[in-house]
Amino acid sequence: MDEKMERVVELFGSVAPLLWQGTGVTLQIAAFSLLLGMAIGLPAGIARVYGPRWLQRATGTYVVLVQGTPLLIQLFLVYYGLPDLGLTLGRLEAAFLTLGLNSGAYQAEYLRGALQAVPVGQMTAARALGMSQGQAVRSIVLPQALRLVLPAWSNEVVAMLKYTAVVFLIAVPDLMGQAKILASRYFVPIPIYLIVAVFYIVLVGITYGLLRQLERRLRVPGLTGEAT
Amino acid sequence: MKKQIVVVLFWAVALLLSACTAVQPTAAGGAAAESSKLAQIQAAGKLVAGTSADYPPYESIDENGNFVGFDMDLIRAVGEKLGVEVEIVDMPFDSLIVSVQEGKIDVVIAAMQATAERDKQVDFSIPYRMTKDAFAAVAGTALTMQAPEDAAGKSIGAQTGTVQEGWIQKNLVEAGLTPADQVFSYERADQAALDVANGRIELLLMDAEPALALAQESGLELILITELTAEGGKSIAMPEGASDLKAEIDRIIQELIDDGTVQSIQEANGLP
Repeated sequence: MDEKMERVVELFGSVAPLLWQGTGVTLQIAAFSLLLGMAIGLPAGIARVYGPRWLQRATGTYVVLVQGTPLLIQLFLVYYGLPDLGLTLGRLEAAFLTLGLNSGAYQAEYLRGALQAVPVGQMTAARALGMSQGQAVRSIVLPQALRLVLPAWSNEVVAMLKYTAVVFLIAVPDLMGQAKILASRYFVPIPIYLIVAVFYIVLVGITYGLLRQLERRLRVPGLTGEAT
Repeated sequence: MKKQIVVVLFWAVALLLSACTAVQPTAAGGAAAESSKLAQIQAAGKLVAGTSADYPPYESIDENGNFVGFDMDLIRAVGEKLGVEVEIVDMPFDSLIVSVQEGKIDVVIAAMQATAERDKQVDFSIPYRMTKDAFAAVAGTALTMQAPEDAAGKSIGAQTGTVQEGWIQKNLVEAGLTPADQVFSYERADQAALDVANGRIELLLMDAEPALALAQESGLELILITELTAEGGKSIAMPEGASDLKAEIDRIIQELIDDGTVQSIQEANGLP
């Protein structure tokens, strides 16, 4: 064990610099994609519930298209398909766009669930007080729904950190991409993938902790129950 | 919160410990079983050969889903001499060495060069063909190259785990000639060719003959063909220590070279 331990430590020393670089790329992609996903998912989720009929249909179609096709196909279509239509995105931009569009659909659905979980009486009461539907959504329903959506949204963040691991297929040197390059350089794939697994689990662990903090801070007693 | 940190740390440590035990993937299961590798293959009546079928004219898949190319014909000829059936398995190039180490496949035939690093992991047959590399750019390019180092500073792609990728890392990136963010590592060579064609990268470095076929398909032009980036000849890889298998395959390759079979399947696949 001691000798093996030494070899792993030695291996770790030689692969760590590239894995750090990869970690930076992974975090960058996850962050951009989540933000883009939120920019799409927030309005799309509200439109799914309160929008006019045609907008509900349009956002519904978007959700079905994204949730109904594998992420890998979406990635290849954006990266290798769009250039045929005259739009050649860089590898990072293609990753942001694909994962952002993907995440947007899931975030819209989470939000739809949360909006529908807010009791109908809240809306009725707000309207009875003379608020327009828009005002009622903005000031009464949405603040409650956003708190309700946080646990599901935390899942999306954690999942996104790992969804990014497909982008090596479009030559993005993320954590997984670096792992593949290093595995074929040092010919010890299993230890390298296990080291990378540790990187991911630490990233996810930290993220999870931060999100629980956020959940606790935004908690409204009586709405979402006691956060533990 | 504290409990969660403990749980995460526990898994992190558990994974690291398993990394320790996995650091020698072949040492444990190896020696005894591999000394009789040839006998195993003959008993099974089947030779399982791994390849990365994206490298015409060495290996590719035709419209009917058959594996075709120089390597495929060669390994079938080897199988015939061994008196066994040949089963071909397609996988990413960078998985081939590990697969042969783990015993998932018996041999690798994938236009693979017997480099010093790979030779530490697996055994190689005698070479069945010498190697040249090519730098490809988009057709009609204004770029010209006299030497491999002329690629300095250009965005360049290669297939992950290939000798060519290693050459780029060592001679361009580590030498400070090309920034690391200008290097693209692709899962497949044909994806790299697509990116040269659509202008995402300027250059692609790969084996010369498959580059020729790929260039015709994807609208590329070979601007330099060189031996300087290559490391030796192409060989069949097999598990380390399978000495009887290596002796038999070496003997068969020599025989196939001597009786002109190699020459004729080269010509049949359009190789000079």
